[in-house]
Parts: sequence; structure tokens; C-alpha cells
Amino acid sequence: MRTTSSLCFAILFCLFFFPSCSEEQDFDQFDDLSITPAIASSIFSVEASEDFINSVSTLSAFYTQTFVFEAFNEQFVAERLLEGNITYDFENSTSKPINIIIEFLDEGGNVLDFESFDIAAGPGEMVSRTVDYGPNGKPLFLLTNTANLRLTGRNLGDNTSVSTEPEAKFIMKSAAEFLFQLVE
Amino acid sequence: MIPLLGTVLLSAQNKQILYDFYEIPQALMVNPGAKAQEKWHVGLPALSGISVQAGASGVSVNDLFANDGIDFNVKVRERVINALSERDDFSSTSQIELFNLGFRGKNRREDYYSFGMYTETDVIVYWPKDLAILAFEGNGGANIGRSFDLGHLNLRGEMVNVFHFGVNRKVNQELTLGLRAKLYSGVFQFKSTNNSGRFRTVPGQENTLENSIDADMQLQTAGVDGFLDIIDADTGNTSSEIQDLFTRRLFLGGNLGLGFDAGFTYQLNPQTTVTGSILDVGFIYNSKDIRNFTLRGSASNEGINVFLPEDIDNLGVDLWQELVDEIEAAVPFEENGQGYISFRPIKIYGSIRYDFGEGSSKTSRIDCGCAINVARGNSGSYYRNSIGGQMFLLKRPLGIQPALTGFYQRRLGKSLSIKTTYTVDKYSFSNVGLGINLQAGPVNFYILGDNLLSYQNIADSRYASLQFGFNIISWNGN
Repeated sequence: MRTTSSLCFAILFCLFFFPSCSEEQDFDQFDDLSITPAIASSIFSVEASEDFINSVSTLSAFYTQTFVFEAFNEQFVAERLLEGNITYDFENSTSKPINIIIEFLDEGGNVLDFESFDIAAGPGEMVSRTVDYGPNGKPLFLLTNTANLRLTGRNLGDNTSVSTEPEAKFIMKSAAEFLFQLVE
Repeated sequence: MIPLLGTVLLSAQNKQILYDFYEIPQALMVNPGAKAQEKWHVGLPALSGISVQAGASGVSVNDLFANDGIDFNVKVRERVINALSERDDFSSTSQIELFNLGFRGKNRREDYYSFGMYTETDVIVYWPKDLAILAFEGNGGANIGRSFDLGHLNLRGEMVNVFHFGVNRKVNQELTLGLRAKLYSGVFQFKSTNNSGRFRTVPGQENTLENSIDADMQLQTAGVDGFLDIIDADTGNTSSEIQDLFTRRLFLGGNLGLGFDAGFTYQLNPQTTVTGSILDVGFIYNSKDIRNFTLRGSASNEGINVFLPEDIDNLGVDLWQELVDEIEAAVPFEENGQGYISFRPIKIYGSIRYDFGEGSSKTSRIDCGCAINVARGNSGSYYRNSIGGQMFLLKRPLGIQPALTGFYQRRLGKSLSIKTTYTVDKYSFSNVGLGINLQAGPVNFYILGDNLLSYQNIADSRYASLQFGFNIISWNGN
């Protein structure tokens, strides 16, 4: 009985009171954690019928609009923006070439940057253009300082011809996909 | 007799070693219908303090923080983001028994009364898989077209002080029943469960991409804001104010609730016993210090969309702000102070035990003249060995969490009893536990350790629990 008890005590001592072991841990690794999601969203689109384009004199823009665009200059976003791109898609089934200018304006209304696209008269395939920002593209400050966008559409052709396409129209679409450093 | 030390429990919800370890008075806390053998017992805490147990069902500390030279971000991606499911959880439960007393009825010796107070903190956070992927990877790239399930947000936590009073009655030689009434005094509570909805980005109709959200989400909190207000106020007396509020909440100054435990022990034959118990069937009505947050609604957007000539009159309108306002109106993030009921996590135990290896009369307490449950020939304590199985069910936000345990118990004389367990549950398939109960005269000490094999590399353990305590037990008229 005494032997059994002693044996049990020895086993229990080993199990309970020996210090537990652990592989070496390095909790400083947490500082290396990097969370960089890719956020994608449409920005703006314009769809103009050929009738509308024809109704405006070719000497002036058939559309010009300045609107507040603060998606990138919000402090939370601006501080975390790493790189990305804006993609512009154009579909033109009208009978006239179209020029689109997108100007990036700061809070004072000054033009920081612009993109100009000449789209051939339709009908034709969808034209896609991608503009990169970040280390391999344009500087990010162009976006982070943008408070307004000015969009201008011009008819580079005549305002009398009519496309043979049914419901001829000019469509511009745009979307952005950017990497953000949420945790560094 | 001066009570020396009380009980400090550091444990998971499942107290499989303590369960049916009826030599320990605290076994009544997991089955009020356990065989109570004492004449009376007293337990008081030796040291104040809170201890915490933590469990993670899908990943261990070692998986992430081992000094193995692997890039931390790769480990997070491979072992957490890509490995865990929305049913994996991180949970923590701690319990501090502030006092626990028990005594046998003077006029009804078959009744054993016990009462006390303990503070319990219980938190469970399920891995919000889709929300984590959205945060780590975003909605762009390969995730375009993916539907992120907002229902993956599931969490629940509370701290309650529990006042309890239980009656344990030996109905006859075979059957013992027990009931424990509980009064809950909530310190804080929060939960975000039963959420639903989705967020996804797909090719759009009017523009390149369409982002859409359909959300029905809610976070309910009670008692949290009071502490945050004190911290925010930063009066220079923050610590004292928090302590005052905490103490007030502990002693019925917070949200209150009621509940009960019930249990039984039934001896099928002199050597075979079945037991069962249901714990924390109760609720707390949260009406004070409430702050709830909701996100409900549906919206989709494809950016700013201009159609000409229809929108020609909209020139000059703040289209961007209009878009933001429209989305916020469609899916409003709102607050309210509506009271709500929170149910306690119900636990159910069941067991079957077979006793064997008849001991001498010295091994039983047959001579003490008080142990109502001890009688020659039909008492478990008369047998040196017990073997059996236990079942544990715990109600969690995402369903019932089960555990199965096999055990062997050995009694060595009057003073020492050992119980070993092997438990299978969602946290571990190699959970070997060991419990020791030492009786030195009236002084009772027990220590119960779980998942002992993981101590070889404690950082690699996904589950650990430890319980220990001191009691003064009277078996006779001392």
C-alpha cells in the first residue's frame, strides 16, 4: 500500500509540478503583420445618346460636370493608400469620334492631373484603358489631393450624322482597384 | 475550526474531472444531485484575483508565434485565414468562487444545503471567416463575384456574479436529487448573434462593378458603456470609479436574472450509478446601461451614373455626397437603448459509473456517523475503483457543443483519490486530465488539470484548464 501510494505521488508530482515546456515563441512577429486588402469599386459612368450628342453644337462640350470626389483624400484612405489603378471602359456606337477629358482638381480648383481619351467613331469594340498609380505608375498624391473631378465630353465629329446602330450611344465606365495598408 | 482557504476555479465550461468527483464538495456545483457525503464544508478564497482559461479550436499560439523562421504573414494566411472556419472559436471562461458553504439539515439528515457566491466571466468569439477574408484580401481581384456572409459575425460575452442556494436530498438508497436556485447580478454583457446578410462585388450593369450589401446585423451591449464613460471622462479618479461601479454591479446593482441547476444520482445496482445534471437554465434581463448597434437594410451602387439627356438638369448637384447619403439611408447604422434578455449558456452533464474492487472498511467513512450516503455494500466510496463515461453538452451561439469523456477513478485509503479522464471535444482529441483529491483530517485540497499532454509544449495547446481549491470538511461532530 505504501509502495503504491509513493508511486502515485511520484507520478502526480511529475505531472503537476514539473514545469511545462514550450517551444520558443517570438511574439514580436505580430509587428510584421501586414493587412493589405484590394478594394474595388466603380467610380462614375456616363451614357449619352447619339440624339443628345447631336443636339449640342460641336463647338462646345456635350457634357461637362465638376463633382465632389473625396474617396481618396479622406484621411483614413489617404494615409493607407499603397497602389492601384483606375480602369476606364468606352463603348461608342455613335457615328462620331468622342473625346473625354477627366481632370483631377484639388480643393482650390487647380488641375492636378488629367486623362484624355479619344474614342473612334463607332460602331467598334469596347476600348479599355488602365492608369496605374503608386510605385509603378503615377504618384499617389495626385489622387490623395483630389477633391473634385471634372468630366468633359466633346463631339469630335459632326452633329448631323446618325449611326446605323439601333439606340446608338456613347458609354463611359470607370472603376478603381487599390491596395490599402490597413495594418502595418 | 477556522476555514483556511477557499476555492479558485480556473476552468473551461466543461468540468469533466470535477463532475461526479463527489469527494470534492464543489462537485455539487456541477451536479446539485451528486452524492453529498459531508456533514458540512466551508470554502473561502485564499487570494483574490481572477484567472482566465483560453481555448482555440483551430489554431494555437505555437502555430503563429513559434520562432520557426516562417514569415508571420504566411502563417496568418495559411493557418488562420485559409484554415479556420466560421465554426472555429476563441473562448475563455473564468470563475472565482468567492465563498461556498454547505451543511446537512439538523432535522432532515438526508438533506444537504449549500450556498455561496461566484463570479464568472465567459467570452466566445467565433472566427468571422468571410469578414476576415474581406479585411485581409478585400473585395477586389479574385474576390470579385464572391459573396461575403455577414452572418459569420458571432460573439458573446458576459461577466456575472452568481448567488446560489442548493438543496441536495437523498430520496432513498438509490436516488439522490438536487436543485440549486441562482440569482444573477450582471456586470456586463454583449452579444452579436443571429446576424445575416451578404456583401458582394460583381460586374455591373450601368458601370464596371456593382457593390451590394444586404445586412441584418446587431450588437447588443449592457453594462459596457458605464465603464467606457468612466474611462473617457478620465477624472483622475478612474480606477476608483471603475472599482465602485464594478462592486455595485457585483452586488445586485446591475442587470439581474434568475436561473436554476438540477441534477440526480441514481444507483442502478450496488456497483453501477448513473448521474445527470442541467446547469444555468436562466436568463438576465438587461435593462440598465444598454447600448445597441444595428446595421439593417439593402443597397447597391455602381458609383455615380449619369444618363444623358435625362440627367442634364442634375448638373451642379453634389453627386458624390448624394450617393453616400443614399447608401447611408438605405443601410443605416443606428443605435438604440432597448432592453433585451440574455440567456445563460446552458450546460448538461450525464454519466455512468461502474465501481469495483471492494475495499476494506478503512477506506470508507462508514464509521464517521454522519455520511448519509455511505452504507456498507452500496456505497461507491466502499469501492476502490470506478470506471465510466461522461457526456457534456454546452449551448453555444452556433449550436450545441458536445464533449465525451471516459474516466478511471482510484481511491487510495481515506485520504487520497485520483481521477483520470480522456476527453474528446472540438478543441482536442488528446485531452488527458488528472485530478487529485487529498483529505488531511478536515482539510480538503484538490487540484484538477486538463489536457496534460499539451504541457510538453504548452504554446501548442489549444485548450487548457486548471481547477484547484481548499475546503474544510467535517465528516463528524468536529
